[in-house]
Amino acid sequence: MSRFFANGSDSESESSEDEIQATNFNKASAFQFSDDEEEVKRVVRSTKEKRYENLTSIIKTIRNHKKIKDIPNTLSSFEDLTRAYQKALPVISKEENGITPRFYIRCLAELEDFINEVWEDREGRKNLSKNNSKSLGTLRQKVRKYIKDFEDDLSRFREAPDQESEAEDEVVAQESDGGDAGDDSDAGVKPTEAAPKAVKSAPAKAAPADDDDSDDSIDWDSDSESETESSDDENQYQNMRERFLKRTTEKEEKDDDKRKDKRKEQKVKIRKRAEDDEDGEWETVVKGHVVEKPKMFEKDAEIDVPLVLAKLLEIMSARGKKRTDRRLQIDLLFELRDISDQHNLGTAVSVKIHFNIISAIYDYNQKISEPMKLEHWALLLEVMQSMLKLLLANTDIIMSESVAEEHEEYVTAPFYVRGCPLAAVERLDDEFVKLLKECDPHSNDYVSRLKDEVNVVKTIELVLQYFERSGTNNERCRIYLRKIEHLYYKFDPEVLKKKRNEVPATTSTSVDVMDKLCKFIYAKDDTDRIRTRAILAHIYHHAMHDNWFQARDLVLMSHLQDNIDAADPATRILYNRMMANLGLCAFRQENVKDAHHCLVDLMVTGKPKELLAQGLLPQRQHERSAEQEKIEKQRQMPFHMHINLELLECVYLVSAMLLEIPYIAAHEFDARRRMISKTFYQQLRSSERQSLVGPPESMREHVVAAAKAMRCGNWQACANFIVNKKMNTKVWDLFYESDRVREMLTKFIKEESLRTYLFTYSNVYTSISIPSLAQMYELPVPKVHSIISKMIINEELMASLDDPSETVVMHRSEPSRLQALAMQFVDKVTNLVDVNEKVFDMKQGNFFQRGNMGNRGDRGYNRNQNNQGGNWLGQRRDRNNRNRNQRGHHKNNQDRQQQQQQQVQTIDEE
Amino acid sequence: MANFDLTRINCQFLDRHLTFPLLEFLCGKEIYNQQELLEYILETVNKTNMIDYTMDTRKRLNLSQEMPEELVQRKAEVLATLKQLQNEVAPIMKATDILKNGESMKDSKTFVNALQKDYNFKVEHLESAYKLAKYLYECGNYQESTSYLYFCLIVMSPNDKNYLNVLWGKLAAEILTLNWNTALEDLTRLRDYIDSANFSTIQALQQRTWLIHWSVLVFFNHPKGRDLIIEMFLYKPLYLNAIQTMCPHIMRYLATAVVINRTRRNALKDLIKVIQQESYTYRDPITEFLECLYVNFDFEGARLKLHECQTVILNDFFIVACLNEFVEDARLMIFETFCRIHQCITISMLADKLNMKPNEAECWIVNLIRNARLNAKIDSKLGHVVMGTQPLSPYQQLVEKIDSLSMRSEHLAGLIERKSKQKQNQESADSWKYY
Repeated sequence: MSRFFANGSDSESESSEDEIQATNFNKASAFQFSDDEEEVKRVVRSTKEKRYENLTSIIKTIRNHKKIKDIPNTLSSFEDLTRAYQKALPVISKEENGITPRFYIRCLAELEDFINEVWEDREGRKNLSKNNSKSLGTLRQKVRKYIKDFEDDLSRFREAPDQESEAEDEVVAQESDGGDAGDDSDAGVKPTEAAPKAVKSAPAKAAPADDDDSDDSIDWDSDSESETESSDDENQYQNMRERFLKRTTEKEEKDDDKRKDKRKEQKVKIRKRAEDDEDGEWETVVKGHVVEKPKMFEKDAEIDVPLVLAKLLEIMSARGKKRTDRRLQIDLLFELRDISDQHNLGTAVSVKIHFNIISAIYDYNQKISEPMKLEHWALLLEVMQSMLKLLLANTDIIMSESVAEEHEEYVTAPFYVRGCPLAAVERLDDEFVKLLKECDPHSNDYVSRLKDEVNVVKTIELVLQYFERSGTNNERCRIYLRKIEHLYYKFDPEVLKKKRNEVPATTSTSVDVMDKLCKFIYAKDDTDRIRTRAILAHIYHHAMHDNWFQARDLVLMSHLQDNIDAADPATRILYNRMMANLGLCAFRQENVKDAHHCLVDLMVTGKPKELLAQGLLPQRQHERSAEQEKIEKQRQMPFHMHINLELLECVYLVSAMLLEIPYIAAHEFDARRRMISKTFYQQLRSSERQSLVGPPESMREHVVAAAKAMRCGNWQACANFIVNKKMNTKVWDLFYESDRVREMLTKFIKEESLRTYLFTYSNVYTSISIPSLAQMYELPVPKVHSIISKMIINEELMASLDDPSETVVMHRSEPSRLQALAMQFVDKVTNLVDVNEKVFDMKQGNFFQRGNMGNRGDRGYNRNQNNQGGNWLGQRRDRNNRNRNQRGHHKNNQDRQQQQQQQVQTIDEE
Repeated sequence: MANFDLTRINCQFLDRHLTFPLLEFLCGKEIYNQQELLEYILETVNKTNMIDYTMDTRKRLNLSQEMPEELVQRKAEVLATLKQLQNEVAPIMKATDILKNGESMKDSKTFVNALQKDYNFKVEHLESAYKLAKYLYECGNYQESTSYLYFCLIVMSPNDKNYLNVLWGKLAAEILTLNWNTALEDLTRLRDYIDSANFSTIQALQQRTWLIHWSVLVFFNHPKGRDLIIEMFLYKPLYLNAIQTMCPHIMRYLATAVVINRTRRNALKDLIKVIQQESYTYRDPITEFLECLYVNFDFEGARLKLHECQTVILNDFFIVACLNEFVEDARLMIFETFCRIHQCITISMLADKLNMKPNEAECWIVNLIRNARLNAKIDSKLGHVVMGTQPLSPYQQLVEKIDSLSMRSEHLAGLIERKSKQKQNQESADSWKYY
């Protein structure tokens, strides 16, 4: 306390510096800020400090404004101040027993004085600008009103500005904030701790002096504020004094005449030097204290569990604050871990520290959208694994979110630790994906990153083991899902071998593992999302291993299609991926129709890339904002999980071709013919528009060329276009059993070509011999027989078989061109009548505008379709070079029909 | 033929007592080892109270002649319990006998009221009647059991916890006493109950699976069953789902029922869809036969499968009675499909495909033609059958299509006219308002 009194003379001497400080204030404060930045690295700050700092900074600005008599700004700052105080109130009431901090009272007192002064000065007031005088009135009123609450404090303050007891109070309060560690350390530390606090109360003594003086003192105050922070450090670094001494020696040559041992004076010195722009030397100071290894505990302190925990709490309480040095925090925690290991404080403590290290590492990266640094991630993985090993090795540690902080138990046997390894591992996984996405997928970097996946899976496995031992169903489901998500897209050749009985039936394959995990989730999960994702992954996995029926049944039984639209984007992406894979599986398993069905939704939009989250489409007319783009980027799949888009498109186009070409041939004259695949049509038409068609280059051109060959029934050409060297390397070799797929394809091409051939050319035959057909298409006779029988039964082909001669006899009932057109016309007229009736019903019924509009759109759609059909037909007609008369006839028909449609429209519009 | 035998699977879904006929049937077929079968029967019987049956089985197994002491004792016990239970129920049954002849028998409510009023009827009586019925059933005395169960059904409210059990018991007892008419009634009642009661999904599925198995017994023995089985299994989505998820092997019985039901040919299409869907979980010669014939049009394959079908049916307790019908109808199916595709068939080939001798086949075809089921002529010189199908002419098609068009348009025009007239009238009326 003697030091405290000594201050009195100091404050006097410092007033000489006031001028400098006042004039260079901005600069000074800027430096001070940088000062803070440096300081921050070792500082653990409590809420209290933060609030106080806030308050003092506002007070400072108020003071500045007062100095230049900027009353409007003073007013606004005052409002800020009251607000900040309101915020700090809980802390104050907690830490200071509800006693208003002195510096705050002081500020209020000053403010009151200032206002009174200005108010009294009538001359000056007249000279004030209109704005100023107006705010002055408001400010005066506000301050008066506000001050009423602090009447007592203020009067006490004015009576005895340097009251001892309050200063004491403050010291004690701050000490308690310093943490329990302080209590544990020797009592000898206390005086040193008390010193900076004493400093703080010093300005309070000086406060009632004139304005300038108090300004100075406020500055001091802020200094002492940072000092209090370092006093926290002091608990950790006992050699604080040395640190400052060292600095002193560096600077001694300049002004060592007055100040000897008081820290605040040194601070001033520092500031002064800063003002002199001696940055270089400043740097060295910074280095100086970073180099010094911070010490955790006192040398002779007895390190036990509560001490370490208190330390941990202290370190962690700085978490998330603006000025906390996050790297230092991590280092500190590591050190703490080492210390606790050295002293054998038990695994529970170790686990707790591990967990805190993990969260500290996570904290290091502040932006969630950006990946963390690689070395941090590696560190994280390591820590996580060691923590999990600890957890697994010691069955008596229970780590869970549900353990409340006050129920944690580190000393006796069933240890309880609060924390959630699940969340940690989930985050680890997410970060891993982010890291992957950061790399260029075609570089070696990506591959080396990908190698870490094994480690991630291992970690997940460890967590899984832990939760299988002790964990709620929900937790198990979550960790299972994590595992599933690392498993489902991987192909396991063992599965197919097992199917072919090449390996013993007991071997466990990934499908079995998936089954087990998914079934658990189906049974136990109570959140819909996990189950949905598990089902999707399960289907995906089945599809991948050619378990077509299982995959299909799962899709059908889960009724996913009905409500997938309500799911979150990530799940919808997974759904799309699943559908794509299911389509591929169906194709491999010779279910062309199903393959087409699965893929059509993806392909018809023309942007499967986006739907599968495998890359963004180039921006068109600012469709999306930067924000949206960012979100979408986050959703992208990492490259190794991509589904080959070319393969997907090729499979889709080929299956569309196999379905569409015979269909076109069969329904040549059918008015109501619908397109099976729009995308395929587009390809076909765009190729037909070209005047000169070269040999196919791309995959699409190959398929189109094949389709054209098939339309003439030329299966050989068709098969050559689909299965050749180019297509093999591009597409087919991507399948696991590519030879089987190629064989299957050839078989399908033969069959469908045969059908197309029969549809197209049946009108030029009276009878066709089945064996010769079989020879033409290199199919076995029974197969041809079966195909033709099917066509006859389904009434696609008007013919019958003649058994003795093994021929197909055509019934010659194919309508002539005229008849066909007549039929077509009839169809259209029927359509028209249907539409008319519908229109009338709508008019009649209580469909108001909405119904009407819908109807209009509907009809438009119909007409479009007709037109398209017409075009397509027109092309065919040109190709076939048919009779011109008939064409005219047809045209008439169309015209008439359009007339009628217009009539309908008029009716409609009436 | 053991690989197509379904007894093992079916027995899982049947009552212990219902399995005895199946097992006894198998004993006569020599598919499995006789000894093993009998041991299995003995084991099952031991769990019931049918002591006599146990003794009989032991005899058949050539175990020691004299029965173990334990069995004799049990027999005495069973008889004693039976006696006791009967005593408990006796008064109320007497009352029922009296009431049976009176007016009050008409509906259950008045009956219960009368019982309560005149004969001091209590809930405990009902309980013991139920117990007795169950005990009688376990002893193999199904006939008497049914009468008690009948009593229970009348008196019990459908909310009673035993109501479902009573229904099941009644059905089982009726099946075992071969009362197919009442069994069918009970079956419908039970089905309605299951469909309306609110079970959990899994429970309902299980109940339905059981019902499906039990009902097969009824359906193949009741004259109306063949329509009903299609109706229930194929066209009730709940039951079709149950079959698909729990017991795809029931497809055999469904397929058989469809084949032997000539009037329900349109069910074939739906059936084949289901068969194809489930082909990966279940296939046997009967479903494969249909697949060959209607999916692949592989007549040779169908012929082979038909051959296999015969052995399968012969060894299946449920459908053994339909063997001849099945073969006949299957042949007809092959032939019909044949005719739809072909315009000229050689008789010898046909005979081959139908597993017949050429002469028989010719005779068969002649009969078909004579019964006007087939529009065809036989060219006996070449040994051909020539179909007399007439292709549909385009004109006919056209006429068919436009038949109703003008009528519809006229109708529409008339409607519009009427409406516009109405509107005009209204408008003119409206316009007068302003004057």
